[in-house]
Amino acid sequence: MPKINIIIICILLISSNIFSQNNNFHLNGKIVDDKNNALQGASILLKPINKGTTSNLKGNYIIDGLKKSKYVIEISFIGYKNLTDTILIEKNTVYNASLTTEILSLQEIVISDNSNEINKKQQSLNVEIVNNTYLKENMGGSLSKSLARLPGVSTMDIGTGQSKPVIRGLGFNRVVVVENGIKHEGQQWGADHGLEIDQFAVDDIEVVKGPSSLMYGSDAIAGVIDVKQNKIPLNNTINANIDLIGKSNNNLLGSSILFSTRKNWFFLNLRATYINYADYKVPTDSVDIYSYKAALYKNQLRNTAGFEKDFHLVFGIIKDKFSSKFFLSSVNSKNGFFANAHGLEPRNVNTQIHDEFSRDILFPYQEFKHYKIINKNKWSFNNLKIEADLGFQNNFRQEWSEYVNHGYMPATFPDSLIFPANLELQFNKNIYSGKIITTYSLSENTNFSAGLNAEYQQNMVDGRGFIIPAFTQTNYGIFALVKQVFSQKHIVQIGIRYDLGNIATESYNDWFLSPNETNISYSYLQRAEKINRNFSNFTYSLGYNYNLEKIALKINAGKSFRMPIAKELAANGVNYHNFSYEVGNSNIKPEISYQLDAGFEVLNKKFAFGATPFLNYFSNYIYLNPSSQHDRLYGNGNQSFYYTESEVLRYGAEIHSHYQLFKNIKLGFIGEYVYSEQLSGEKKGYTIPFSPPTNVLFNVKYSRNSITFVQKPYLSIDYILTATQKNIVPPEEITEGFQLINIRFGGDLKVKNSIVKISMQIQNILNTKYFNHTSYYRLINVPESGRNFIINISIPISLKIKSELKNV
Amino acid sequence: MNPAKILIIVSLVVFSITSCKKETTEIDKQKPEIIINIDGTFPLNCDTLYFGETFNVKMLFSDNFELGSYSIDIHNNFDHHSHSTEVTECQLNPIKTPINPFTYINDFTIPVSQKQYQTNLPILIPTENENGIFDEGDYHFFISLTDKEGWSTQKGFSIKILKR
Repeated sequence: MPKINIIIICILLISSNIFSQNNNFHLNGKIVDDKNNALQGASILLKPINKGTTSNLKGNYIIDGLKKSKYVIEISFIGYKNLTDTILIEKNTVYNASLTTEILSLQEIVISDNSNEINKKQQSLNVEIVNNTYLKENMGGSLSKSLARLPGVSTMDIGTGQSKPVIRGLGFNRVVVVENGIKHEGQQWGADHGLEIDQFAVDDIEVVKGPSSLMYGSDAIAGVIDVKQNKIPLNNTINANIDLIGKSNNNLLGSSILFSTRKNWFFLNLRATYINYADYKVPTDSVDIYSYKAALYKNQLRNTAGFEKDFHLVFGIIKDKFSSKFFLSSVNSKNGFFANAHGLEPRNVNTQIHDEFSRDILFPYQEFKHYKIINKNKWSFNNLKIEADLGFQNNFRQEWSEYVNHGYMPATFPDSLIFPANLELQFNKNIYSGKIITTYSLSENTNFSAGLNAEYQQNMVDGRGFIIPAFTQTNYGIFALVKQVFSQKHIVQIGIRYDLGNIATESYNDWFLSPNETNISYSYLQRAEKINRNFSNFTYSLGYNYNLEKIALKINAGKSFRMPIAKELAANGVNYHNFSYEVGNSNIKPEISYQLDAGFEVLNKKFAFGATPFLNYFSNYIYLNPSSQHDRLYGNGNQSFYYTESEVLRYGAEIHSHYQLFKNIKLGFIGEYVYSEQLSGEKKGYTIPFSPPTNVLFNVKYSRNSITFVQKPYLSIDYILTATQKNIVPPEEITEGFQLINIRFGGDLKVKNSIVKISMQIQNILNTKYFNHTSYYRLINVPESGRNFIINISIPISLKIKSELKNV
Repeated sequence: MNPAKILIIVSLVVFSITSCKKETTEIDKQKPEIIINIDGTFPLNCDTLYFGETFNVKMLFSDNFELGSYSIDIHNNFDHHSHSTEVTECQLNPIKTPINPFTYINDFTIPVSQKQYQTNLPILIPTENENGIFDEGDYHFFISLTDKEGWSTQKGFSIKILKR
């Protein structure tokens, strides 16, 4: 029984009794979503007899009294793409279908939380779902950038191509990124590099806003970005897809080529992506780095060029009751840092060498390689579903810069050391992960799931700089979740979880001598001593949904936690990029957060409005607190920054709305607001670092079915207003507000049998000079990139394999 | 009024109230300052110091609430790596490889509850250490100042240290 999981269908023709005389057949089956959750209330219609029904709570349907004939079956459900197929009924027939989420409304402006999509309605936390089309239409320099338009999502950037996702003002280790079911592990704590994910290889993304430790364990305090590669080719087809991308600002050229095929239960996807870009341009002639003015050549931010090279192999077997998929990927990138400032430290550079070519990558630069192997398995029995995922990852990252003898380092680099003089930092991390989740349906209204996940990390360090010591880390978590539906309108979910963790850091000594207090004797200072800490934590979540036809309400209360990371426990070195001497605290407790989330949405044909307020309390928010002290010996005269715990209160909301003004014109609005305040400690009254400013977005979208030869043409204009961020904490600076206009337009072109999709964007059309409060380069006054014209062309090529199975 | 309308109104009101919330507690958002235009400020960009002699660091520090501490770092700039914070360019000697460059790092406290503080700090530059005589040439004089809340400011000067 072949079954196609995602984009399209799942046909099951049990057998063919061609000569049957019986004229009273029935057609039955099950309608599920792309996560294999039953869809209740889907409409099933047979044409031309116009006989139909709707699916029940388990997604099952039956239509009987059918004559032997060919029918057209139409399956539709609000929030999902309609499915139309031709079927031949010559016996009692089973036709199962999997519907994909219809994300059209998201492309335009919103829909988001609590929309009519059933899987959102069934989750008690606020969720945003986007697909590949949305990503292409909104493609930024990185995956996180492409998501930044979503309400409550922003980024932490360094330059244009490197960014990390931020959910409601929290980022780094407080957001979990999951790819194909396995937590993505890199060096999440670092501000100066991005997420190692190829945004072309993404099919769907689910953004969960709110404490998600229950399902994802430590770190999911602010939320989860769940990235899925779930496209499975149609049976008996060979497909290719060529994506071409170009950007004017940094002369980026790139291509991603996908090859996919499927023969019955076996499928295979192969993808290669290559992107190459030059220095990016900013709307300014010079940059003030601590009042040291660095002139820019042709508005180019010197040495920010780079490239990305990714490979993916996905294959697996899809059977009716069992599926097993393998995801192998290698994501590689090399990109330069702005040469006039390594980190925040001003540098004199040879501008002649740097300005000769805009595509070369000189010192300082970073390089990473991220390898991943994931195996995802799923068994479905009558009332029982078991999922088991296994993963291995290797994250290798290097920072290269010319040797400079900071502090007591020798003036000339000794040749007796094992690492090269110009290797500033190197991290090499192996990550082994595993997860099992079982879901059992006790009755139509009661679901029970339980799961277990485990992760082991081994992190090695090298290079002349010291930021974190080498460490190993182990985490185990066990959880249980009950979901109960009452009278089809009310859903209650209760979950509990228990986690155990261990982190063991290695000791580290300087490779150079430092003088003691009296300048008489010299020693190799010990920066970090061995630390071995065990953690345990109990978390819970309680959610309630109330769903009416046009109104949805949800409320969720939850506790989340985060194990302290090696840097917070054991840092003891100078970060010359920030003029800071950073000191960890080996006694820090796991960070605990309590959050109350609500969401409501009203939706009808022409109008939608939704709001998602939250209230959040941290009993011990961990952050790097700049003190008034300087340190000579360990800090080489730099200001001391200590990892500190303080109570933090945060609240905020996102609101979104859209209105269909005319048949072809839709107006939209998104607003985001977050307030944070430290309630205790040395910085009582201050906000927490990197608080995003209040932001509103107005949108007008014009779209229609076709204009001459262009199908589904659209033109969408965003007007973004960002408030001044005055709520700052040392060492931040007040960031002025700004206004931006971005335009998106495109459509589909029919070329022979293929539909070529063209998406274009003009970002920052007025070439406005503005600063992003959460950019790493904000402190040295590097503005965000100037006007950028982006074009993305997606060309599908599809071939059918001659099939003996086709009987339609 | 239907519940949908009530919800919309309530959320708009909540959103606008929270968006406009005024700060209630006064917190310090100003960095301290290193003032280098008072009479006799020393050293300044492009100044020269001498081995075997003591010089006086004279600078005025100022903060709106309370000063914290400061540190001084003198290191060679034979490779012209320069993190000067000053606009004026100094005449640098040719790039050279350091043999035994002079390094000075120290941190200093400022008496508590000071909004203004003038340094009068003598620093002796020795002529040699156990490795021999120090290299003459281009150096950096780097000073970092904090206030009590942890705001900081930095100044970097290009200087020369020569033998008299």
